[in-house]
Amino acid sequence: MKALAITGFGAVSPVGIGGAGFFEAMTSGSCAKAPVVRPVSEAKAGEAVTDGDGSAAVAVRSPALAEVPNFDAAKYLGEKGLRTLDRLTKLLVVASRLALHDAKLKRDGAWVTTAGDRVGIVVSNAYGSLEAITELDRVATLEAARYINPARFPLTVANSAAGYASIWEDLRAMNVSVSDGNCGALDAVACADVFLEQQRADAIVVGGAEAISEALIGAYERLGALAEGAIIGEGAAMFVLEADSSARARGASVLGIISGYGTAFVPPEREAALVHPSAVALERAIRDAMTDANVTPDEVDVAVSGVSGLRAFDDAELSAIAQILGPDACVVAPKQALGETHGAGGAMGVLAALAYLTAGACPHVVRGRFRRDGRTALVTSMGYYGNASALVVRSGALAAPTAQI
Amino acid sequence: MRAATRYTQEPVLSRVFVTGVGIVSSIGLGRDAFYRSLERGVSGISPVSLFDPSQLGRGVAGEVRGFDPGDHLTQAEQRRMGRCSAMAVAAARMALGDADLGTNELAGPRTAVVIGTTMGEAEILGGLQHNWIVHGLQSVRRSVIPRYGSTLLPIHVARAIGAQGMVLSLPGACAAGNYAIGFAADLIRAGRADVVVTGAAEVIQELQFSGFVRLAAMAPERCQPFDLNRQGLLLGEGAGILVLESEAHAARRSSRLIAEVGGYGLSCDAYHITRPHPDATGSIAAMRGAIARSGIATDDVDFVNAHGTGTRHNDAAEAKVVRDVFGDRRIPVSSMKSMIGHCMGAASAIEAVGCIFTIETGIYPPTVGYETPDPACDIDVVANESRSGPSDVVVNNSLAFGGYNAVALFAKPGVLPAPDARFAAAASTPLGASAGAGT
Repeated sequence: MKALAITGFGAVSPVGIGGAGFFEAMTSGSCAKAPVVRPVSEAKAGEAVTDGDGSAAVAVRSPALAEVPNFDAAKYLGEKGLRTLDRLTKLLVVASRLALHDAKLKRDGAWVTTAGDRVGIVVSNAYGSLEAITELDRVATLEAARYINPARFPLTVANSAAGYASIWEDLRAMNVSVSDGNCGALDAVACADVFLEQQRADAIVVGGAEAISEALIGAYERLGALAEGAIIGEGAAMFVLEADSSARARGASVLGIISGYGTAFVPPEREAALVHPSAVALERAIRDAMTDANVTPDEVDVAVSGVSGLRAFDDAELSAIAQILGPDACVVAPKQALGETHGAGGAMGVLAALAYLTAGACPHVVRGRFRRDGRTALVTSMGYYGNASALVVRSGALAAPTAQI
Repeated sequence: MRAATRYTQEPVLSRVFVTGVGIVSSIGLGRDAFYRSLERGVSGISPVSLFDPSQLGRGVAGEVRGFDPGDHLTQAEQRRMGRCSAMAVAAARMALGDADLGTNELAGPRTAVVIGTTMGEAEILGGLQHNWIVHGLQSVRRSVIPRYGSTLLPIHVARAIGAQGMVLSLPGACAAGNYAIGFAADLIRAGRADVVVTGAAEVIQELQFSGFVRLAAMAPERCQPFDLNRQGLLLGEGAGILVLESEAHAARRSSRLIAEVGGYGLSCDAYHITRPHPDATGSIAAMRGAIARSGIATDDVDFVNAHGTGTRHNDAAEAKVVRDVFGDRRIPVSSMKSMIGHCMGAASAIEAVGCIFTIETGIYPPTVGYETPDPACDIDVVANESRSGPSDVVVNNSLAFGGYNAVALFAKPGVLPAPDARFAAAASTPLGASAGAGT
């Protein structure tokens, strides 16, 4: 891919909302900056998520949720029009608004130098609005289907949150919802890359969103994932992508550069199997992303992994990273602070990578030593079915292009 | 360099060809059966049998009654997936057969799978939710939980055909099929894949059915797009899958070129979650974008496959779009939804196969049940009986929930100008993306 500039971001996350606050929370090693975590239930109340100390692999924790604490969408969006929206939509719209303003494409809610017909949105989400689906299913099951609330029905459609983001933020160039499980947010970047290359937009707000729901908690609990140590997170991580040349042309400040993407799918060999952590797929994805970005293993300063506490997947991911970058390569796990945000996970990883590289500090190291002067990160995502994706991200702007004679 | 084996490659500005189609529909399984039904205007609408709709006041839909997963899937595959993925895999296998492609030819990272849907494995989720709500969490079968997720459609298809490149779902509501096909073509044009198996799949599920009833969007018996007395949509289901190949890949194996995928237009109304924009500027931009990105003029288009849902607002808005784009020219327009219902995410993919039918046969499928012209829909509807006519270029409209507009264009091989000319045109004007573009 051609270099894509990240010119602004908005994070609505368990460690905070906004820009600077997110960076600070992600890079502070003190327990005071640990995310607000709510126990899954009082019966299962346990140890809260704590920061890694850089010396051990991911620790097994008591069941917990990493929620966006005290999330009040009205603070960012006003009171009007929120009544029929679900949590997923509110998370996404707030993050998108923050990103557009951070990129200075918008000021006080109005477009600055461009217009909505040249700005699009590409959003990853893995499970849709389980909140709305469960609400309507309850009514249909316990009462009758004819009583379901028609005003809430649109929320059950998988692209609803993205549709609302366009309505709230006037994003008209395109509106694309992406679903590839935990890999979706990195794939959303690949989609945006194609759309920008095809000149379908001047800028695209890209990322992912996922909300904690009763159904998701139930699924995790039933599968034993909570007991194993996974933390269900939620939030929305959105960033503005522009062609590097476009960002320069409008004088945008560049937070980072995305320069390579890779993806692969390797199914399980056993016919009956469905769930499958594939180290081979991730190795291929990483190799392709690095080739795409024209970087060597030595040039990757940190692997910002999707390690989440599910042992089989963590082992495969750490193995693939070690296979390509070497056994001593620094691997970090932002999900220690953010929990597993599924469709948003890769986008959270991109923002975490920028936070670590910008601050020169990372409290979520699971292997190797974090370099304070690092510039280049590899962000990895493992899907549950043999799918895997990887992205190469650099902090700061590219060197100014030299004049061609 | 391992460029030829990986996801990323320098853009090659390739032409993209349809070399195989597969279809699971209420009016036929497989290309030949579907084509015959389209030509004759066969209706696939029947009483709902998947669940009991008696309390809802509506009870017909375009169910795919003849589909037996056992006819298309191994026993292990049947255990792994729900009905939606099963339809997608069945249609993909038909498409590969149609393209004369063996799975060994698709193995590896240069084959991607991009599938659209609205809800994916909705019936799996419905079952999980029912058990949970009625009987409690412990009654939810652990082995079934991982089978839910729209993510799974391309995963199952990729596994069935041996593809190891990108696997991606595009949940683009009722425009998902065009989103998938358009993006798949872009992947090939950008040099990121040689072959993409693409399309969409959807099943009718009780919650969605009930939701459309509660939105007062569903007709009691018939879907009559553009008719003065239209009473709404009917739901349908199925899967439409296309095999897309780069020009070079198709040439290497001497593929039969069925159609070329032209440009596609994307836009978003950013207006209302369920209603189209009254000015239809986004839809107009998407349609103009598809035509301009194909390097042709509106006069070159021979036929429009309408989104044509049969709802009052949508049909009036779409008629306005057609009038705006084509002016006083009476271009033939038809809606397959009159025969198969609104197949939601799968709609534009199934209808894309219908567009291929028109390109191959020169026949426009009819809008059945069309009785009384509506002055608000002053367009040339192919009423009740199929019609023959020029079929070099066909446009496939999708104007969907959430203000998602996606319009795809298909053409007879050899009709469209070279891709570099198209790219130059696209580079000089903001096409498709700009509301009101194309002036």
